[in-house]
Amino acid sequence: MYKTKITALAFVMIAMSACKNPTEDIKLIIDTDIIKNTALINVTDAQTGNAAPNGVAITILGADAVNVYELSGKKNIVLTNGMVTIGLHPDVVPTTDKPITVSAEISGAGYNKETKQITFTAAQKQQVVNIPITKTGNTAPPIVLPPLPVYNTTNLTFVGRCPNRNDLEVRPSVYVSFKKAGSSAPFQHLGFMDKGNITTNLLALNETYEFQIVFGGVSYKTSQKIEQTSYNLVIDMPEACNL
Amino acid sequence: MKSPIYFFLIFTLLIGLEAKSQVDTVRKSSASRTSIQLNLGTQGIGAELVHGLSSQFAVRAGANIIPLKANDVFKFDDFKSKNSASADFTNVHALADFSPFAGFRLVGGVAYFFKAEGNINITPTDDYTYGDITLNEEQVGSVDLNVDWKGVAPYFGIALGRAIPNKKFNINFDLGTYYLTNPKTNIAGTGLLKGNSSQSAQLQSNLKDYRWLPVVQLNFNFKL
Repeated sequence: MYKTKITALAFVMIAMSACKNPTEDIKLIIDTDIIKNTALINVTDAQTGNAAPNGVAITILGADAVNVYELSGKKNIVLTNGMVTIGLHPDVVPTTDKPITVSAEISGAGYNKETKQITFTAAQKQQVVNIPITKTGNTAPPIVLPPLPVYNTTNLTFVGRCPNRNDLEVRPSVYVSFKKAGSSAPFQHLGFMDKGNITTNLLALNETYEFQIVFGGVSYKTSQKIEQTSYNLVIDMPEACNL
Repeated sequence: MKSPIYFFLIFTLLIGLEAKSQVDTVRKSSASRTSIQLNLGTQGIGAELVHGLSSQFAVRAGANIIPLKANDVFKFDDFKSKNSASADFTNVHALADFSPFAGFRLVGGVAYFFKAEGNINITPTDDYTYGDITLNEEQVGSVDLNVDWKGVAPYFGIALGRAIPNKKFNINFDLGTYYLTNPKTNIAGTGLLKGNSSQSAQLQSNLKDYRWLPVVQLNFNFKL
């Protein structure tokens, strides 16, 4: 009886004299917004503004540190190009009455140890926490970066490609940083990309930019010359393709 | 391998019976003859009222329904999931039969499909991990692929056996196809798979030629 049902169903659904495979060019799309309450931690050298060098470590401290994960869901939290996004386990949700606070301790050889409090609240799902660190014995004042110029609005849509899985595609929800292509300046925060989409007014027309996503301890980059108001960009994200 | 043999035997029997009836029966007007037939086939189960207008022409009207469900029809190598597929077709139809010679009819007509839906639901079965986080079924979510051909559909085909039985009962056979309306499709995802709804347009494009609904049907025909 069961086989008969399947045969009949297959006959109706498949034998409908058509040529194209119904699932052709359809991929399984995976969202990465499992961790809802996030904070981008951006550690820089206070005197130069450059990203913290390799070897600078981050430690999450506090009673709720056990509930803090890197954006890719890993417990291993490391800085990559001075950046890491942390967030709360999806089952741990801060409320208006009960925000969740942890501390980020930054340490590295030749640098003074810095600790900064990070509070996850019900109202604020994303936040950027800048932590400048100073070299030991350096008394020079910290560099103050000028505010970023504002341009026309540009919409960017990112698709995360899975190099080893043709059947999967990723719709990333991550923080994006950017800089002018070829520039030696550090990457700066562009905004939070929600489900692959980000709208910004920090990109100038006819300039080429490098975009960076730090996810799972890996830095993913792509570049684009801005000549119109919207772009679809593809970025390899193998770390997000493990489902 | 038995099915084709049975099919051939039934086919031969139907043709044989009709050939015999052609010899034995004096053709007479069938203007007043009416029958009711119950049917079973690829468009499900149904019933039709048949009325013979003459020895060569008959008209019929009826309804069919096919509610089918099957589980775990599809297998995915890397993605452990349970899935279910269903087809739900309900139509009323009016057909005209022309019999150029006894036992064979050309059939044409039209149907209105109140329901003509196909659905595939894919739900992950394992506890999937996102990094070091184990996700439950609700967090991972599921994907529904839906297709709807509701609307008017012309029909054409052939039939073997008499539209009106010579005596009280006959079995006849329909072979034809409906040409369904352009399907409306959508993909709905939840949880981690919510983004799949953006692929509805691609599914629509892939299924735009899926409009031929074949009809292979046995009719059990009772003269009233």
